[in-house]
Amino acid sequence: MTPFEIGLMSFGVMIVMVYMGFWVPFALMLSSFGGVWLIKGSPVLAGKLLALAASKTISSYFFGVVPLFVLMGYIVSVSGMGRDAFDVANHLFRRLKGGLGIGTVGANAIFAAITGISIASAAVFTRIAVPEMMRHGYSARFSVGVVAGSSVLGMLIPPSLLLILYGLLTEQSVGDLFIAGVLPGLVLACLFGVGIWLTAHLSLGTLGSAQDADDIPPLTSRELLQKGLPLALLIGLVLGGLYTGFFTPIEAGAVGCLGAIVIGLARRSLTLKDFWEVLNDTGLVTASICFLIIAAQMYSRMLALSGVPAEFGSFVATADIGYWGVILAYVGLVIVMGTILDSSSIMLILVPLILPVLATMQVDLIWFGIITIIAVEIGLLTPPFGISVFVIKSALDDPNITLGDIFRGAAPFALLMLVLLALVLAFPQLATALI
Amino acid sequence: MLDPSTPGADTHSLPNWFLTLQRGVDAVTVALNVAGTILIFLVMLLVNFDVIGRNFFASPISGVPEMVSMSIVAIVFLQIAQAFRKGRLTRTEAVLGFVEKRAPRLRLVMDIVFATASALLIWQLYAASQPLFVKAWVRGTFEGTVGDFTAPVWPVKLIILIGCIALMVQLVMFAASALLRLLAGQGARP
Repeated sequence: MTPFEIGLMSFGVMIVMVYMGFWVPFALMLSSFGGVWLIKGSPVLAGKLLALAASKTISSYFFGVVPLFVLMGYIVSVSGMGRDAFDVANHLFRRLKGGLGIGTVGANAIFAAITGISIASAAVFTRIAVPEMMRHGYSARFSVGVVAGSSVLGMLIPPSLLLILYGLLTEQSVGDLFIAGVLPGLVLACLFGVGIWLTAHLSLGTLGSAQDADDIPPLTSRELLQKGLPLALLIGLVLGGLYTGFFTPIEAGAVGCLGAIVIGLARRSLTLKDFWEVLNDTGLVTASICFLIIAAQMYSRMLALSGVPAEFGSFVATADIGYWGVILAYVGLVIVMGTILDSSSIMLILVPLILPVLATMQVDLIWFGIITIIAVEIGLLTPPFGISVFVIKSALDDPNITLGDIFRGAAPFALLMLVLLALVLAFPQLATALI
Repeated sequence: MLDPSTPGADTHSLPNWFLTLQRGVDAVTVALNVAGTILIFLVMLLVNFDVIGRNFFASPISGVPEMVSMSIVAIVFLQIAQAFRKGRLTRTEAVLGFVEKRAPRLRLVMDIVFATASALLIWQLYAASQPLFVKAWVRGTFEGTVGDFTAPVWPVKLIILIGCIALMVQLVMFAASALLRLLAGQGARP
């Protein structure tokens, strides 16, 4: 067999293993081990590749801050800042029809500016927003749907773990990627808000027997200050420090983390037990993400060795499906894989494969990154594997709301994300204007 | 709050000696996990001291990037066994769930095959990583610049080895528990 055939075969075997339910990192490692063994004819060499990838891949300053971004998201959630964001956003939108739903979206947008992971938003707002909406007569399906849908804002509005990951894979500036995510994130929040508002006006029944949130007393300006100020401080600290060059995007995670701890302690809302719990959870999330990255690195080295990406690149270049053909096929593939895989796995599998192809077409890699993130995030909401939906289900104390309900509730939001994807595809300025 | 499924929840069909063994293994895994968790906290403090020192006191800390990049490898390998034990490694449950409903014993067989293959793979990783540790130990390899900041590399390489062993043991335990349940003639979840 030629190396090319071996590369293709191990790709196929890997996909089959993943679908069968093999752990994704082990599937990647096994297919790269087998692939290198066959190409080079030596299991020792293949082992060496594994060992080098394990000790070198994540040994960089960039990866060092992955746990800090995760931790920051968790700390803001346990220290009650999600609740504050929700109260402030409701105060702002309380006069609108469907105000609580719009408020949830707004709270998520605020929260997204201080956290880099969608699962943190999903867990927090399931506990805060869902009971409140259901108390006001919104249907269960709509309530969980709003939370699931707006949780994706966490990854689009900076800081964002997925954008950092993309930046590492493609050697693009993480700072630029962060700025590029701002407009699409805001547009998506507006799309969600307008969508809810229109539904509330055109067919109120779809939302359940929603009442306006009039019985919630408006916040006094003192309360507004008390709830809004810590949030504003933290957002100001992270984004302000970033753009004034006080610290790098990499360090922003650590600074934001400490800021959140200080604010949490000052308001006596962060207990030692909570802190230890989230610290521990951060470790587990970090380990599983980074281990996956290591495995994906082994796999992309094996692919490079087999020459598949280069061949694939020249195949696409000569296949004459053109620029849009390539982009649309890629986006389609990402969304399809999103139905069964988690966001980082998809990016780690597909981005190294598509990069050589893009290199021949002069694609703006920052814009392409935003496209990738949006497409990948649609996968958070689609069955059978939707991480956001799973997180909501496990954070929810209500056996009457099934996984199916949450998926159905999230579906309109997934559609709106497709609209955003089309917008960014058609108007690249949305991503590149601010840079 | 974030794991949809914790494997090994159905322990009542397993023999006592196995459960004792599992508890012992888990205790070690948790100890490694705690060490990794503390390390994350230290990294956070370190980066902050550097940012504050650099901006306010014009005295940056030497070697922060080196220390952070070595720590992250340590953090991952200290926690990986616990992450596996807690069911945090991504896997698709679609086919597995389907098989479990139709043929629970087949599901157990699949788990045994998958875990055994993974354990063998991690053994390869361990075997190939060991020379890297020996080299770092014998030659005294370090990171950083002489005269400014240097740190030996061997502790990280050692932690990789420890992490591999811990993960391998958990994988073997996972396969063994599935095998014991299969032999006891039970489905994956009674």
